[in-house]
Parts: sequence; C-alpha cells; structure tokens
Amino acid sequence: MKYLTIDTTTKVTALALAEGGQLVSEGFLHTSKTHSERIIPMLDQLLSAADWSLQDLEMIGVVRGPGSFTGIRIGIATAQGLAQVLNLPLVAVVSLDALAWAGKGRTEDIVPILDARKNEWYTARYHWRSGAERADCLTPPQAMATEQWLDYLRGLNCSICFVGDAAGKAKERIEEVLGERAVILPDYISLPRGAYAAQAVWERWKEIGEGELVEPYYIRFSEAEVNWAKKEEARRNGKDE
Amino acid sequence: MTGNQKSKVIILGIETSCDETSAAVLANGEDLRSHVISSQISTHQKYGGVVPEIASREHSMHFRPVVQQALDEAKVTFQDLSAIAVTYGPGLVGSLLVGVSGAKAMAYASKIPLIGINHLEAHIYANFIQHKDLQFPLLALLVSGGHTHLILFEGHGKYEVLGYTRDDAAGEALDKVARTLGLGYPGGPQIQRVSQEGNAQAFKFPRAMLEADSLDFSFSGMKSAVLNTLNSARMRGEVLSVPDIAASFQEAVVDVLVRKTLMAIKRTGVKTLLLAGGVAANKLLRETLEMSLVKLGIRLVYPEPIYCTDNGAMIATAGYYHYLVGDFAPWTLNAVPGLSFPRLNN
Ligand SMILES: [Zn+2]
Repeated sequence: MKYLTIDTTTKVTALALAEGGQLVSEGFLHTSKTHSERIIPMLDQLLSAADWSLQDLEMIGVVRGPGSFTGIRIGIATAQGLAQVLNLPLVAVVSLDALAWAGKGRTEDIVPILDARKNEWYTARYHWRSGAERADCLTPPQAMATEQWLDYLRGLNCSICFVGDAAGKAKERIEEVLGERAVILPDYISLPRGAYAAQAVWERWKEIGEGELVEPYYIRFSEAEVNWAKKEEARRNGKDE
Repeated sequence: MTGNQKSKVIILGIETSCDETSAAVLANGEDLRSHVISSQISTHQKYGGVVPEIASREHSMHFRPVVQQALDEAKVTFQDLSAIAVTYGPGLVGSLLVGVSGAKAMAYASKIPLIGINHLEAHIYANFIQHKDLQFPLLALLVSGGHTHLILFEGHGKYEVLGYTRDDAAGEALDKVARTLGLGYPGGPQIQRVSQEGNAQAFKFPRAMLEADSLDFSFSGMKSAVLNTLNSARMRGEVLSVPDIAASFQEAVVDVLVRKTLMAIKRTGVKTLLLAGGVAANKLLRETLEMSLVKLGIRLVYPEPIYCTDNGAMIATAGYYHYLVGDFAPWTLNAVPGLSFPRLNN
C-alpha cells in the first residue's frame, strides 16, 4: 500500500512517500520559509522523483499535533484537501509518538520534547522493548513546565534519550539536571522526519485498517479560553461568598 | 454531471479570512450553484470580538465539511471544476492559512489552477453577483470592520485607490462605540438597531473631513468624541440616552462617508456607485446615499446583505474574472495578512 505522510507540527516541513511501512522518498526542509510555501512544491518533487503519480496513493497520514498551532492546521488542511479530492482514507498520529521512532532500538527511555513556549514543552515518555513493533508509551502526551518535567525525570531510575526540536537548545540544562543519565541525540536524528511519521502512520493503519476523522490535537486551550475560564471561576467564587 | 459541463467555467470560491468559513460554486460567472456560510459569530460573542486563535481552530474544523456541502449542493465534483479561488489576504493569518492550505491541496490534487484572491477586491465583486449589467468606470465605496476605501474601478483588474482611512475603519469605529455603549458584538448592526429609537440630532459629534481636497477618512477622532461625551456625563452623574448617542454617532459616520463619496463622484464623473463591505448593509448609509445620488442621476448598486458579509460567492465571482485572463497563483502561494488593495496595471 502506497501512502503519503505530512508532518508540519514544528518548523520542519517533513514529508514522506512510503509503501507498506517501507520508506520510498523523504522531504526535509528546515529553513526560514513557511510550510505554506514549501509543502505542495515538495510533494510535487517527491512524487516525480519516486516516479509516482497522485493516483498511486492509497492512503494519507498526517501528524495532528501537539506542536505549532498554525503548523498543525496547515498539515491537516493539506492532508484533508488531498484526501477529499483523491477520495483516500486519512489517518492521524501524534507528533510525540512519531518522534519516538527516532530512538528505535535504543535501551534508554525515549523522551521527545517539543518547544511549547512559555517555558513549557510538549512531551511524553516511551520505551522500546526489544523486538517490539512499536514503543510503549509510559507517560502520555502533555504540556509541561520544563523544570517540573526535568525534576520528574530525575526521580526516575533510568537513562533517558531526548529527541525533538527543544532537545538541542536545552542540552546544557538537561545535562545539568540528569548528568550521565541523559543522552541527547543530534538534530539530524532528533528533529521530525518523514521517515518517523511514515512508521507511526503505518502502525496506526495496521491498527485501525480504515480511515478516521482527523482533528487537530493541540493539548492546550487557546489563551482567550483559558482567561475566560479564569474570569468565570473568579466570578462564581465571588458569588458564593 | 455530463461531459459538456467541462466546457463551462466552474469556480469553487473559498473564504476563511476572518470568522466565516464559506464556500460557493459559480458557473460561468453568473450561475451561483451553491453558497455555504458557517459563521462563528456566536463563538466569539462572549469575548466581545473575534479571537484569532479560536477563529483558526473553528476554520480547521469546518473547512472540509463546508467545501463538501458546497460541491454537493451544486451537484458537482472536483473533476467538474475549472479552478479553485481562495482568499489569501488581508485577514487573520492563522485563519487565512487554513483556507489557502486546503484550497492549494485541492487544486493540486484536481490538477486545476489555483487563484489567489484579495479579499477587498472580492467585496467589490460581490456587486457583480446579482448585477450583470455594470458598466465601467465604476466608483466603489468599500466600508467594513477593517477598511474604508474609495476606489475607482476602470475595468477588471484596473483600480485606483482615491482615498482610504488614516486610522480606524468605519466599521471598527462603530464596533468600538457599540462596545462602550454595552451593545455587544458585532457592533454595526447593534448601533443600527438601537438608533431606530434614538434622536440623531441629540448630540453634535464632529465630522472629520481632513484637508479640503482629500478623499481620505479619519474616524478615530469622532469615536473619541463619543467616549469623551460619555465620560464627562458620567463624572457629572448624568445618564445619557444610549439610543440618542448611537443614532447621533451613526449619523456622523454616514455623513462623512456620503460627503467624501459625493466629492469622489464629482471628481471622477462616474455614473455608478458600488457599495461594498459589511457596513454596506447599513440602512441609513444606503438611504442617505440613495437620496443624494438620485438627484445627480447616479445609480447606486449594493449587494444583498448576505453578500455584504464575508462570503465564498464573492470570492468565486472575483475568481471568475481572474480565470478569464489566466491570472493564476503558484503552489508557493502564502497568506498575506496585511495585503493592501491591488493597484494592477496602473
Ligand atoms: Zn470582509
């Protein structure tokens, strides 16, 4: 089965063409241009390089977050637009699950960290059992204050391999807290890649065997909603007194 | 759908620049086959205005079903389309990107051209949806929450901006005054509603006309005058009539819009005025213009209220004229939140 995967949840535009879980062609751009400018031209190049046409595609996989809110929506709108015209099933995976594939074969726990601003990361914790087809998720995806998360990880009694777009920037601080228990993979392994999404999407497809309704996975509410909820709560508390 | 449909020009128009997700299918520039608008007004109401991140999230959820419904109601498939036209600016960047990304993917997968539409130009083209007999040159008064422009329209794709607002847009000023008066969002329609019970002569708010020969607008001083009036009344412990204030302010705004428009008509000698944008639905503005223009033998044209809001039909209509001259967008098309009015071939 031939399929396309799209990951625009970070500053990297990562596309892949794959067949039955085997990577065929991969696009990776980490420049200052926007996803909107790069995504269709990159898809066009990948298809012609692989000598595939759009009609060869049988499924489309998209990474639905967490990550950049705008990036998530660009990826999903693109995937939906293609799937709608080509009448293809759509499958979605979580960005952190996809990044767990960057640590495939390693014995440490795999901790993807994505920049969530405001001193927070989108993060989760995985472990690859030897011979397993997919990583076990030990701590589910969440938005977490960086120091709080490092503190939690310090309390665990194991080595940890960090991946994701925040890993490089936080290297010093991570090593300060975790010392030798921390492994930080270089950017070319640890940034989102089409190859990782292609694996995660294939696992998802094997699991559900049909298309699914795809919705963004932001983890966070928008700021306006958070502020509104706070105000409402204050108002309610004021009334109770 | 039969094979000869393909010889027709069928445009899918998509609009996501602010808080409406809309799509329409237009055949041959005149046959509006479908028009779907999913409005988010109720979602944003409790925040007192459009919240960009929430708007983007809503577009992301509604985009696919809105487009599908437009195709289904028009009884066409992507294979029947000649091109897909989409708003790429001005507007909220996150909202624009949902439409641009989706439209691009659809056009690419359908192997048909993509057309990037300037939202302001589309508002003017809303007049072409129901009026097929418009003769150039035309003068357009574009009044909305974001813009106040007087534009000379000499032919398809040929524009000259004669005047624009130097600060607040007319609709923006109405929105702000409405909020201060506690009338809620969106403000324009609320002001119009309460003004019916008010005395427009109760308060004399200033009319900012700028330099004698200028066709530019300025509404921020007029808005401040209302706020000052309210503040000083509050300090004196007086309660002013909200309908009177609303009616007087509405009249001041309309007065300036009409006076500048008449100046532009005199200067250009055009015989037809097009009203466009959300504020074009304002009844007082329409009636006042109508009265002044009838005396001068000038024809006033405005879209039905549904085409004054942000809508896909106007995008498809503008798209049709771009299609005729082969003005297509590259696959690198990006959202341009601050896109200004096009001054093509000028
Ligand atoms: Zn508009």
